[in-house]
Amino acid sequence: MIGQRVLRVEDKRFLRGEGRYVADIALPFMREAYVLRSPQPHARIVSFDASAALALEGVDAVYTAADLPASLTPIPCRIPTHGDMTPFLQYPLARDVVRFVGEPIAVIVASSRALAEDAAELVAIEFEPLPVVADAKAALDPATPKMYPPGNIATQWGFDLGKVDDAFAQADIVVEKSFSIQRHSAMPLETRGLIASYDKARSYLEVWGPTKVPHTNRAMLARMLGMRDGDIRFAEPDVGGSFGARGEFYPEDIFIPYFAIKLGKPIRWIEDRQEHFASINHSRECTFQVKASATKDGRITAFDVVLVADLGAYIRTHGDVVPSHAAASFPGPYAIRNYRVAATAALSNKTPSGTLRAPGMFEANFAREQIVDMLAEKLGMDRAEIRRRNLIKPDEMPWYVGTQSVNRPTLFDSGDFPGLFEESVSRFGWSTPLPKGEGPVRRGRGIVALVEPSGFGPFESARIEIDPAGFATIFTGASNQGQGHETMLPQVAAEVLGIAHDRFRVRHGDTAMIPYGGGSYASRTAVMGANAVHRAALAVKAKALAAAAQMLQAKEDELALDDGKVIVAANPSRFVTLAHIARVLTPGNAELVPAPKDFIKDDHDGLTGEVFLRAIPSGTAVFSVHMADIALDTGTGELKVERYCVSGDVGRAINPMIVEGQLVGGVVQGIGGALLEELAYDEDGNLQTGSFADYLLPSSHEVPRIEALVVEKAKSISNDLGVKGCGEIGISGVAAVLANAIAHALGTGARPTKLPLTTERLLDLVEPGS
Amino acid sequence: MTARNVSFTLNGKPATLAVEPRQTLADAVRQHLGLTGTHLGCEHGVCGACTVLLDGDAIRGCLMLAVQAEGLSITTIEGASPPEGLSVIQDAMQRHHALQCGFCSPGMVLALESLFAHTPCPGEDDIREAISGNLCRCTGYQPIVAAALSVAEKNRANLGAAAPSA
Repeated sequence: MIGQRVLRVEDKRFLRGEGRYVADIALPFMREAYVLRSPQPHARIVSFDASAALALEGVDAVYTAADLPASLTPIPCRIPTHGDMTPFLQYPLARDVVRFVGEPIAVIVASSRALAEDAAELVAIEFEPLPVVADAKAALDPATPKMYPPGNIATQWGFDLGKVDDAFAQADIVVEKSFSIQRHSAMPLETRGLIASYDKARSYLEVWGPTKVPHTNRAMLARMLGMRDGDIRFAEPDVGGSFGARGEFYPEDIFIPYFAIKLGKPIRWIEDRQEHFASINHSRECTFQVKASATKDGRITAFDVVLVADLGAYIRTHGDVVPSHAAASFPGPYAIRNYRVAATAALSNKTPSGTLRAPGMFEANFAREQIVDMLAEKLGMDRAEIRRRNLIKPDEMPWYVGTQSVNRPTLFDSGDFPGLFEESVSRFGWSTPLPKGEGPVRRGRGIVALVEPSGFGPFESARIEIDPAGFATIFTGASNQGQGHETMLPQVAAEVLGIAHDRFRVRHGDTAMIPYGGGSYASRTAVMGANAVHRAALAVKAKALAAAAQMLQAKEDELALDDGKVIVAANPSRFVTLAHIARVLTPGNAELVPAPKDFIKDDHDGLTGEVFLRAIPSGTAVFSVHMADIALDTGTGELKVERYCVSGDVGRAINPMIVEGQLVGGVVQGIGGALLEELAYDEDGNLQTGSFADYLLPSSHEVPRIEALVVEKAKSISNDLGVKGCGEIGISGVAAVLANAIAHALGTGARPTKLPLTTERLLDLVEPGS
Repeated sequence: MTARNVSFTLNGKPATLAVEPRQTLADAVRQHLGLTGTHLGCEHGVCGACTVLLDGDAIRGCLMLAVQAEGLSITTIEGASPPEGLSVIQDAMQRHHALQCGFCSPGMVLALESLFAHTPCPGEDDIREAISGNLCRCTGYQPIVAAALSVAEKNRANLGAAAPSA
């Protein structure tokens, strides 16, 4: 079962249009909410008048910050940060100042969404504009007016490892370059949404809506509203993609449930796409100034980095995690001991920033891998060769980079980086000549090496129950946004229990069914979710064998599991089915546990197994190589990706089909981030991106054929299954490899240092100043 | 706003709905009939998640008003799916892992249904063109194209060697 390309069981409902996403849920007497958002990047709210809106028939309420509990705190940051972030936290609804276009000011509740929008038109708000901090550069300028009393810088930190200055003084060559990564976001095809319903008499609040971390968000909601965890149910419906953007505790996550309580009727809020551009966490915007040194034989001796990230107007639940990861992991897969980084998280009047698939890594790889190419160019060395000479060797594992991010050491537990590197290079045919360019077309080839962490997050849970008919249910603490957990987790359990994977059902994302859950992020479900299921299955197996030994009058070590039965290995005609064992182990069943005569006693607890698994903080490291051939039309700036190969050593692929899907899909998202996607602001802090006509995503036309090479060379040494997470390696190296291929095609030393790589920018590289 | 009656054929059966003139076809089938397989990803005609068939052709459910459907024949994913199991295209999509989160899938299926209705044996370029108005954030399109090519291959075999290929 593990290792097989099993077709996904969840596909049937999705293909038939029977998936149930949050907007597909409706409750009796439900009302619809529209969130009135700031059109101003930075302004004081002078007056607010909703009387005309409230006069409209069908409008129930127009709620503002004044309707929230006076004791309500801002949304706390839930991840360790560099320094105190409390001055920069966001209240769920703006109090008297708005700090970005899209900041929630009021919530209009009405009988329909259309009516709520009509009502919004009638709300009169007077603003007094305040000076705008347009970007990180402005934030760092002492002359810029302060957005917050402490200023426009959230935090600064750094590392200084080894002897960086000595390394530069002794180096044979030094290169230096600045790189910038544009603001973009995950852009799942389904926008955000929530439904909240409160049973006042029973004190029971139910909230449906996509989030990566239902249990964490329930706890935050309970703490902020002074409610009990047990009085709140968070339930995840089907979810139309996440890619990093559904992890926050968003402002809506508190005020929609709270107003449902206040109104006494269920409220549904479904974001529209225009809202989404302004309200989903933005990501990626940062600059790197990088200096690197090497010896003449291609040994990289030091990196010196200045990193400035623009986190937008507020610090939210994810704090400074994105630049934190970038700063901690910048050296990548190379054995470099002299590393210095000075990092700044700046604030500006833009949408707050959070995570996007491969947070900090997509960005750092873009800068580092170009610098490595620059070193190779200066040395006249092959670009694969310089990487080969610097990769961390298997006998150097575990490798501690010497940095930490969010209190976790940057540690690679295991890996055969050179092994995968050579296999990738040879599979791609790195040394085969590129086809010649025709006319204005020039061809180039790029290579990057990278390492992604996976399996972060403190714990995961799993419970398996086998019912008296022999069907099995897996309750997982992992949440699902389309990755395929309903297929992959049963494969793991099936391997142990000898039951076909399609006799399992997977329940996830519902705090009413699952007492504790970690959720899905950081490529963690294969690592934590699957290992928890594996151990829960082992617990079920042990219980089944113990019971069968009594039922068959055999020794446990004579028994084996086979196709839903426990058999006597030497005589398979002697068996009991798991269904039968489940019946016997049902509480109240008199077999094996006869009723006591004189005192109550412990009973059966079902053919079940439950596991809570603690993670190691540094996770498990995944090595990956990206290679691409491109054709650049130097006349038009048109870029064609002609060939793309991504490889990843995932230790063990539970379902290779799903792993390949993650790699290929990740690459295409990366192509979007590298070439197309941008959340653009004008110099006055106004978001210019309002539709998919402005925010371009890769379509079926833009994408090349992608080869995914899934390798199981270096098993993780930190979990039973030996697995590593595959969700982020696909996206992580795309901008870097395309930039390297473009620079190679140009052959002039010019380099694409600013993302996205638009045709204008590429033309400018061909002919500077054109 | 006052409602107006609109009558059309929906998934092969007559339907009459009282809708606001400003309501889109996609909103109408979702809200009045509970046919929630028609998804809304952008509501401005770019993403294709709301694709439905109008007399067999793929159109955007979010760009057409429900009142414009008067007298026309509309098929949603619910109508395009067999009573049980999967259609040929749906089955090919499952076999090729041509979906992850599933949000774009109904639109993709209908875009391909429309293509195959006109062109039984499309080539890769035809397929990429047919789904170029349907965004998918998960798969990178490659497995969707592979699924459609496998259907084309099957059609070609069934139609015999004489069948024109695209």
